[in-house]
Amino acid sequence: MRNVMALILSGGGGERLGVLSAERAVSALPFGGKYRVIDFSLSNCCHSGIGHVGVLAQHAPASLNDHIGAGRPWDLDRRQGGVVILQPYQTRSHAGWYRGTADAITQNWDYLEEHRPDRVLVLSGDHVYRMDYRALFLAHEQRGASVTLACTRVPADQSRRFGMVTMDRGGRVRTLEEKPEHSAATHASMGVYVFEFDVLREMLRSRPVDLVLDVLRPLVDAGERVYAHEFNGFWEDVGTVASFYRANLELVQPEPRLQLHDPRWPILTRDEERPAVLISDGASIEDSLVANGCVIEGRVERSILFPGVRVGPGALVSDAVVMADVKMEANSRVSRAILDKYARVGEGAVVGEGDAPGPPDLQWLAGLVLVGKDAWIPPGGRVQRPASIGVGGRYEDFVDGALAAGSVVGNRRWYEELR
Amino acid sequence: MSGRYAFILAGGVGSRLCLLSERRAKPAVPFGGKYRIIDFTLSNCVNSGIYDIGVLTQYRPTSLNQHIGIGRPWDLDRTRGGVQLLQPAPGAAQSDWYQGTADALYQNLMHLKRRRVDEVLILSGDHIYKMDYNVLYAFHRANRASCTVAVTEVPEKDISQFGILETEPNGRITAFKEKPKTATSRLASMGVYLFDRDALIRLLVEDAAMADSSHDFGKDILPRMVARGLGVFAYRFPDYWQDVGTLDSYYEANLAFLGGQPPLDLHDPGWIIHTQSADRPPVRFIHGAAVRNSMVTNGCVVAGEVTRSVLFPGVVVAPGAIVRDSIVMHDAVIGPGAVLDRAIIDKEAVIGAEARVGHGSEMPPNRACPEHLSSGLVVVGKRARLPEGIHVGRNARIGAQVVEADFTAPVPAGGVVDGPESMH
Repeated sequence: MRNVMALILSGGGGERLGVLSAERAVSALPFGGKYRVIDFSLSNCCHSGIGHVGVLAQHAPASLNDHIGAGRPWDLDRRQGGVVILQPYQTRSHAGWYRGTADAITQNWDYLEEHRPDRVLVLSGDHVYRMDYRALFLAHEQRGASVTLACTRVPADQSRRFGMVTMDRGGRVRTLEEKPEHSAATHASMGVYVFEFDVLREMLRSRPVDLVLDVLRPLVDAGERVYAHEFNGFWEDVGTVASFYRANLELVQPEPRLQLHDPRWPILTRDEERPAVLISDGASIEDSLVANGCVIEGRVERSILFPGVRVGPGALVSDAVVMADVKMEANSRVSRAILDKYARVGEGAVVGEGDAPGPPDLQWLAGLVLVGKDAWIPPGGRVQRPASIGVGGRYEDFVDGALAAGSVVGNRRWYEELR
Repeated sequence: MSGRYAFILAGGVGSRLCLLSERRAKPAVPFGGKYRIIDFTLSNCVNSGIYDIGVLTQYRPTSLNQHIGIGRPWDLDRTRGGVQLLQPAPGAAQSDWYQGTADALYQNLMHLKRRRVDEVLILSGDHIYKMDYNVLYAFHRANRASCTVAVTEVPEKDISQFGILETEPNGRITAFKEKPKTATSRLASMGVYLFDRDALIRLLVEDAAMADSSHDFGKDILPRMVARGLGVFAYRFPDYWQDVGTLDSYYEANLAFLGGQPPLDLHDPGWIIHTQSADRPPVRFIHGAAVRNSMVTNGCVVAGEVTRSVLFPGVVVAPGAIVRDSIVMHDAVIGPGAVLDRAIIDKEAVIGAEARVGHGSEMPPNRACPEHLSSGLVVVGKRARLPEGIHVGRNARIGAQVVEADFTAPVPAGGVVDGPESMH
């Protein structure tokens, strides 16, 4: 699509994701067996014909830089347009972290001004969905809107997670409530907005901080032509442990609402070259996604295995998300857990046993065990759920080789090992 | 260090691979769950630091051209060097179809003359192995050789398929016989030659003028060098090397990767075998799937039973289907309740529900290619469509593009169903 530039907001540090986002942006979080969360927005752009994309990064930007690079996997390595990563920066007269979503855009307005698209599509890099933005633009044009936001129906008890939208019959937005405890509204804003370039520029003059509170809401209140466009497909904000886990496990449902195996709308990602999945005698795999490079000698049930995971003989992994190059030794067991890259589960260790509800302040763990990047569970170790083990966790973090329900182990730093 | 340049010979007909190389060059035949045969040689080059490569093609080059393209997966899309596909071209002086391996190089001598290299590496795109060519270069220079031939030991029964050579204890080659009936030596040429550049240019120019030459390295150039007492040395390669020239060796070599002791470590992050791979989602194992002792690649959806088999990307195994001791290439669909036993299914073939492919105990050799299809394998060509419930006996051959209506009766053991003639 000509004259459109997409801005993907990917600065969030995902405080509610704990150890999973300790060293990466939420948008760079591994998802679905081989992807990063931002792949969904980037692939949507690619398939919707949007060839100019800015990625606004702030928290742990290296994770995004590495992944996106020049944008090859999405055919965004272009002479005209392409993908550009926009980080907070210094000039002689200015230095500033992004104070919020609107501020991030304002600070990069010079870049937009250079290219002067007719419309700006603002997206979040933290959402998992397959959407053809061309339908959104069509609705926007037909209504002659200043702003069109995409919305989707959500369960009534979920309203406090979202910006809730009410609209009239013609689709014009009447109210916009940010994360209300209770709401009469049935639709949540998906964080997908089409702005007329001039409308957005006008609003950014007052140096707003937040795109919803300081830009969209004033526009609605002022009676501007703000319209909502309903999206009916699967959409999930994976900014919490519970939603991240749920969205992953959705993929191994008998009829997943999020289709990865659709050749017309492939999710594109930076792929590593790994050999085929090797499945040995005595292995069994059901209801799971398993990526190239895995070696499976044990049992895998209702789980998502990223590239290079090894499941040793007699080991069992169930209801789990296991990221790249995790090694499960013989006879170990993992259930209801999220294991980050390079984690190791020692021989005979058990991760995610028990059914304790856990203390109220650990509700965010959703009853799961989180195992940080490069953390090692000792042989024979036991970890009850819920619990969280920090990046680089080691044997010393365990009490007699065990962690009771409700345990939270902090991150280790690489240089601690050098002492 | 002077630059390095390699030619990869990728023009062979590969007739012993029967249907698999009927419509593609042998180096482009899929192998090992996601690779093409030539990926091993290309990856050896880049992993050895050789980033300037000419690939000589002739026989059905389309799939190779598509696969290699500008060489992205191997980081060969470079400003200087990179990969160049060298096809025969009419018009220019002294040019024509390549008459033999030496002639293919002779016709591309300008590419060699242009380069400032001391040696030139000549490789074959037909073999499965992992080799650090730096070792070969070091050996070659230590011996001040005119040519170094990498060799491997082969079983006595196979000597008639290879170039067999005899050596002095220091590695100097004293005799070279192409595909002999009998020989005392079991050292076979791997088709990996490192030549002194200037010596090679002289030899090729001389050979091109000889009317009685077949213009082949194994038949002409090397024996002539040995006879003249030039410094031709054998480098003994100690590791796995496999020529997958026949259907049986192709089948065995693929299945060898399934055991606990694979002949090559494909997982070695220090020696990655690169290939062109489309972005496919992880393998989806559905409830009721039963997979063991197999390789399954991204993009596959498995609901049935898979045992001792290799599935390439995008294969669908429907519920109740059984895939046993088989190789199934990209995007083939195995219908509900269908059974494959010792079958090689080419890309995008569709096996109808309840079909039996590789059925019965009779094993007469295939009527059309009895020499190459007699061990009980069934071969199904690219994009063939097998009707529901069809029975296909062993050693049968189902041509590419065959459709359901081409089957009038069960296919007996050794039977042939020919597809439409290819347009070219």
